[in-house]
Amino acid sequence: MPIALGDHGVGPAQSPPGVLRSLADYRGRDRERQEITARVGMLVFLGSWIMLFAALFFVYGSVRSRAPAWPPPDQPRLPVLLPGVNTGAMAASSAALAVAQRALQAGRHRACGAWLALAAFLGATFLSLQLAVWSGLWRAGLRPSGGTYPSAFYGLTALHALHVVVGLVALGMLAARARAGRAEQLGVDLWAWYWHAVGAVWLVLYTTVYLV
Amino acid sequence: MSPTPLFAVALAEPPRAPGYGLPADVSADGHLIDSLLHFTLAATAIVFAVVLAALLWAVIRHRGNRLASYTHGTRGSRSIVVGSVVAIAIVVDGYLFSSTVLDLRRHFWNFDGVEANPRTVRVEVNAHQWSWTARYAGPDGRFATPDDIVTIDDIRVPVGAPVLVQLTSIDVIHSFYLPNFRVKQDAVPGNVGRLTFEARVPGQYELACAQHCGPNHYKMRGVLTVLTPEGYRQWWEEAAADAARAYDPDDREAGWGWEWRRF
Amino acid sequence: MATSADVALAEAAQPIHPEPTSFWRRYVFSIDHKVIAKQFLWAGCAFLVFGGVLAMLIRWQWGFPGQKVPLLGDVFLRGTGGVIAPGTYQQIFTMHGLIMVFFAVTPVLVGTFGNFLIPLMIGARDMAFPRLNMYSFWTFLASQLLVVASFFTDLGTGGAGWTNYAPLSTQVGMPGMGQTLVIVALFVTGASSTMGAINYITTVIRLRAPGMTWSRLPLTIWALWLTAILNALFVPVLGAAALTLLLDRHFGTQFFIAGASAVRGGGDPIAYQHLFWIFGHPEVYIMVLPAWGIVGDVLSFFARKPHHWYRGTVGAMLAVTLLSALVYGHHMFVTGMSPLLGQGFMLFTLVISVPSMVVVLNWLLTVWRGSIRLTTPMLFALGTMFVFGVGGLTGLELGDISMDLYLHDTLFVVGHFHFTMAAASFTGAVTGIYFWFPKMFGRQLDERLGKAHFAVTVVGMTLVFGGQLLAGYAGQQRRLFDPYQYTFIQGLHGLNRNVSILAFVLFAGQLIFVWNVAKTLLGRARVAGANPWEVTTLEWTATSSPPPFHNFDRIPFVLRGPHELGDAEVKGLTGRDFAGQAEVLPAKSGTAAAGGG
Repeated sequence: MPIALGDHGVGPAQSPPGVLRSLADYRGRDRERQEITARVGMLVFLGSWIMLFAALFFVYGSVRSRAPAWPPPDQPRLPVLLPGVNTGAMAASSAALAVAQRALQAGRHRACGAWLALAAFLGATFLSLQLAVWSGLWRAGLRPSGGTYPSAFYGLTALHALHVVVGLVALGMLAARARAGRAEQLGVDLWAWYWHAVGAVWLVLYTTVYLV
Repeated sequence: MSPTPLFAVALAEPPRAPGYGLPADVSADGHLIDSLLHFTLAATAIVFAVVLAALLWAVIRHRGNRLASYTHGTRGSRSIVVGSVVAIAIVVDGYLFSSTVLDLRRHFWNFDGVEANPRTVRVEVNAHQWSWTARYAGPDGRFATPDDIVTIDDIRVPVGAPVLVQLTSIDVIHSFYLPNFRVKQDAVPGNVGRLTFEARVPGQYELACAQHCGPNHYKMRGVLTVLTPEGYRQWWEEAAADAARAYDPDDREAGWGWEWRRF
Repeated sequence: MATSADVALAEAAQPIHPEPTSFWRRYVFSIDHKVIAKQFLWAGCAFLVFGGVLAMLIRWQWGFPGQKVPLLGDVFLRGTGGVIAPGTYQQIFTMHGLIMVFFAVTPVLVGTFGNFLIPLMIGARDMAFPRLNMYSFWTFLASQLLVVASFFTDLGTGGAGWTNYAPLSTQVGMPGMGQTLVIVALFVTGASSTMGAINYITTVIRLRAPGMTWSRLPLTIWALWLTAILNALFVPVLGAAALTLLLDRHFGTQFFIAGASAVRGGGDPIAYQHLFWIFGHPEVYIMVLPAWGIVGDVLSFFARKPHHWYRGTVGAMLAVTLLSALVYGHHMFVTGMSPLLGQGFMLFTLVISVPSMVVVLNWLLTVWRGSIRLTTPMLFALGTMFVFGVGGLTGLELGDISMDLYLHDTLFVVGHFHFTMAAASFTGAVTGIYFWFPKMFGRQLDERLGKAHFAVTVVGMTLVFGGQLLAGYAGQQRRLFDPYQYTFIQGLHGLNRNVSILAFVLFAGQLIFVWNVAKTLLGRARVAGANPWEVTTLEWTATSSPPPFHNFDRIPFVLRGPHELGDAEVKGLTGRDFAGQAEVLPAKSGTAAAGGG
């Protein structure tokens, strides 16, 4: 007569061999496990999202390699200085964010809030400078319909800027929360990863679109 | 060059295919593809039959056995898997790969060889929604000049001479497909593609579009007429004379030709 | 080594939450992975019917060109007197492909089984991110609604083929909001897939029950996890393709527009193809890997013995995952790429066939010398082997450049991918539905109806898709509104007509399945026990049918692998031929409790 599997299919002894210690001992550690899970999830998300930009850079490389001349002789040149300042702004913003993370670890919520606000401010500076670059080029006659050169330029920078906007909103909300003393390390860390990734994409963009 | 007797210059209708099976192969190199197809079909059929037989045997023979043979796989059985797969890969895949590399280099993509051949006939083809326009160089031997011969849905070539086609499109992607020659090449806007073939049998054959290009994709049918060398020369001279008469410098749309591209 | 302390940790990390009480939170806006799985199932099946009807219209046009479509013609084709027009035809085949790939097979195979099985089979209470899971379903539903909306635009829905090659898919070839809505729908469903992928990947990494090592995972979970990795990596590439296409359509850019429409310089239509196929080839593995996993487990279960060379199969699935993006150029052999690049893609394509063969041979050896129980899931699993065999082998002709020069864009390609995707993925999904139906709904589907469904489906699919292979071998191109314009295809009219009739029978035969499901769910079917199939994995051996909201009263402590069937020692100890993954076996005299695996 086969031994029945029981109500939930496990054999007669429901618990594994050994004594089950009191759950209370582990209350502090389950939060840590959940945080690690959140971090793993964020890493997967960032890997996925990086592929989107990798694909866009692929298209950019593809159309650029086929063009007889780049930039095409009749199109306005891209500036190097203002976007260079932008690169500095993004780098500084990431640095400020790293300091904010450290401050929160030390329990200094107000300082964290201040550094987060600085990071957000630098990000906003980036956006306004980017707007200036765009409007200058637009007035000089660079339009998306002018071919692959402006298409790649406007397409890549616009999509990147959209991601900066998302990050700015998040940084702003985190800064407000930190000032109120309610910031959480995990939230700040995860958005920091996002922000650093956005900065890394900018670095690639600046190098391949403006510099080279 | 002695006149070629006995071949009909053109049949009234392309041969109606029996339906199943490969269309008649009238090209110099198509048999290479056909033999690969036959080999692959035979090899895969054999593999499939063996595995299917083993599967049916296993299922029928062991249906409702008292107790299965408890094994996660022995060294021996794993070796059977690896060995069979490696053997099939080497024999079948290896043969396919090496044959194809040679075939492409010597025949289907041997454009340098065809360019160097003095008998090669050159045609530029512009695919567009929904017909094929072809251009021959005309008496001056250069493309995109006023004496070019331009035809619509009508390509004529001599038997026994290599044909080199340069191919583009002005709107969307089309694909130049000659079923009786086993060749195909996409016509991509902004690109110049190349295709080569050589006819063995005079007659009329179909030119089909093999890339969805809009609602009338199904109607983008052209005719490839393979003529005797005599017949071809005759046609060419008449067409050149017609082209000289019909040339209209104000017809912008007819000016799609390009100087023969050197790759 | 997992210990009881790990179980305690797992319990603390996944506390039992009270079940929601309101109707909306239980059945509509639910964060319960089991409910979300069923939502994907119904949404996917609804569009499966939709895509199937579109297929019947295509078959009608090839079998009876220019004739009035019975029943549907009066309803949907009134403008043309019930007859399909060329412009409508291109919309029909476009949406048939898009719907089947993105809105039918993927939600059923990946959405349903991924969501339902991953937490249950690894011994977790839910996904890592239950709320993200809910959002992923509603995002998917939004994308389906966008597809429906595209049909109601002025110029109708998209018509550039499911591949949406540019420039045909730009304003040059397809003006109108319908085509745009279709591309937006693709982007939105991609977002849903990515959300789901993040959940699946993280859940398998982080929430496996103590003792559930990677080498004890059921093959279904391995397959779903690798599928999720492919989704996470390559769906964003489709997203990039969709985004740039939308920019070309509505923001004046020129990424893919060339020829007479290009203003200066012009873009590169082939760049779109690169993007699309870098996604597209992994996509077909996304669609077939879950079927492989399900078949692997089911064959073992109903041959009552362990899967042959488990590690070999896992390794093969890993290899296929790694190689999948390296073969994509075989879709582009006739675009004019450099011969060296083409031959590189050909080489990788031939190489990727090797792990597939390993998987199939391991299936065969799993069944070999088993104790075969020909239940409906087992029949469908065997059927999947059969159709995948045909489909996979026909890939050889297409992966070889020479033969592809002739076969590219013919119905041979169509037959190949219908055997692999429409047949193998579909029969794999159906295997899963028959197999896990008792666990999902607490009732078992009728076996006799299931066997009839199996016969109609496998025979029907073989004949219909075989007919496509034959027509393609004879040279008939894809996507032709009226193939018989070409003389060389006129001889195929009889074949096409007969295949169309068989297709109608095949489609109608699916009603057997619909009837079975309806009868079982709505009528007085036999209630299933916890483990009616008598198999080993956690969803069967550690919880009820269906499971409670929190899945497991206690997080299981896993002691052995997923395929411990047919061991005489187990039979001696318990009287049955299998041991549950977390089952504590009674100790033999003088030895510790049986474990290992």
